[in-house]
Amino acid sequence: MKMNLVLELQDVPGQLVSVLDPISGLGTNLVTVIHQRDSKNEKGMIPVQITIEGERDNLKQVIQKLTDMNITILEKDGVIVKEKIITILIGHVIDRDIKDTMDQINLLEGISVVGLDVKLEEELESSAMIVIESDAGKKDMVLNKVQEIATYKDLLVVNEI
Amino acid sequence: MKELKLILMGFGAVGKGVAESISIKRNNIKDKFGIDFKLVAVGDSSSSAISANGLDEKLLIETKEKKGTLDKYPEFGSNINGEAVLDKVDYDLLVEATPTNIENGEPAKSLTIKAFNAGKDVVTSNKGHLALFFSEMIEIANQNNVEFKYEASVGGAMPIINFAEKTLPSSKIFSIIGILNGTTNYILSRMTIEGSSYKNTLEESQQLGIAETDPTQDVEGIDAACKTVILANSLLGIPATYSDVEVEGISKITSEAIGLAKKEGYFIKLIAEVSKHALKVSPRLIKKNSPYAIEGTLNMATLKTDLADEVTVVGKGAGSIETASAMLTDIINIIKIKYQK
Repeated sequence: MKMNLVLELQDVPGQLVSVLDPISGLGTNLVTVIHQRDSKNEKGMIPVQITIEGERDNLKQVIQKLTDMNITILEKDGVIVKEKIITILIGHVIDRDIKDTMDQINLLEGISVVGLDVKLEEELESSAMIVIESDAGKKDMVLNKVQEIATYKDLLVVNEI
Repeated sequence: MKELKLILMGFGAVGKGVAESISIKRNNIKDKFGIDFKLVAVGDSSSSAISANGLDEKLLIETKEKKGTLDKYPEFGSNINGEAVLDKVDYDLLVEATPTNIENGEPAKSLTIKAFNAGKDVVTSNKGHLALFFSEMIEIANQNNVEFKYEASVGGAMPIINFAEKTLPSSKIFSIIGILNGTTNYILSRMTIEGSSYKNTLEESQQLGIAETDPTQDVEGIDAACKTVILANSLLGIPATYSDVEVEGISKITSEAIGLAKKEGYFIKLIAEVSKHALKVSPRLIKKNSPYAIEGTLNMATLKTDLADEVTVVGKGAGSIETASAMLTDIINIIKIKYQK
């Protein structure tokens, strides 16, 4: 059987090979690799699509191996495994303990802040864009948490539609 | 030929647009529908012009613009104003274009109810009475067996209420998400293109006449919230009123926030969300290639439905003639229902 994966790899030499090596070692065949170096995401990582073929158990072992190697699997057979959530906070984002804001989000299970970009304004208020990676299906939970933090800290949240 | 006697209340930008569109389309409507429009009275908060034989639209606009008040209209100008105008002359249909009042819905509410109780049809561009007393207004219209149309109250020339009711009756609408305020869309578009501050962009918009001297209703999301209520009631059957809408405007949006969003391929827009789960007006991130990425004073709305999936409409959300076009469409639809049997 075939399996399609979208992996997230670092843009460094040897990274792609190090991921592809275990695939043949575990008795599966690589069918296609789509590696576009110009489509970096906000973390500077490159999404790589691969299709592999093999027995069900062998495919499972590949997934396990990739997980052990700390490789992020973004999609498996067209199903999104990780979702990217972008949100902007406006107000006294830094003064109201930005580290605490990030920590509170990171405490949620299966959720991590993967990007933060802050811009200051003249009147000491600031705007911060937070990029969050979440397990599939947890978007509402993340957005509720961000809203809760923002309400408590008197910040304006601008979420995606 | 059948006559349709109209009273027009409110003679600001929209009212004048109605007079002008009637004058442009009079012959066309005669040919197409066999109805001759007769504007028998035009009134505003201070005065009026009344003539059972009909007034001249161009002369009305000229009088108001050059002399300031309608009582200067030759021969038929008078100092009768407000509701009293409706008692002075026989009419078939009230075209109500007074300014929106979100405190108590007046004078639109009283004018409309008075017309209903006299058995007259009403076409309005007003949002106040609809946002505050939607169910009540519809109930009184139904009790009196009269037509009540309000396409112009949401999105100006952008078709949405008639569109959903007449063009999409097969589909159930789950939600409507859209940009329902042209002024804020203009301000946010300029901030995105030029990287300018909210304060400077608002001032520029005021100088251009796009934002009003007191911009509160637009920039604080009040106008979009009124439209949210109207769509919730009329198209989704949600018996909501103004206080049910969660409202956040754009006055806290910074050019820095817009810059951060832009870097990731997003724009910030003031979005109205109408569904059973949320009645909300708030600044949101939208993808730059999505249907929400419209610029300038345009309005748009995406209707999510069961059979037709998503359908998006776009159009000019404000402007004198554009808004009047929606009112004229409502009048023609009433002609089709009542006068062409």
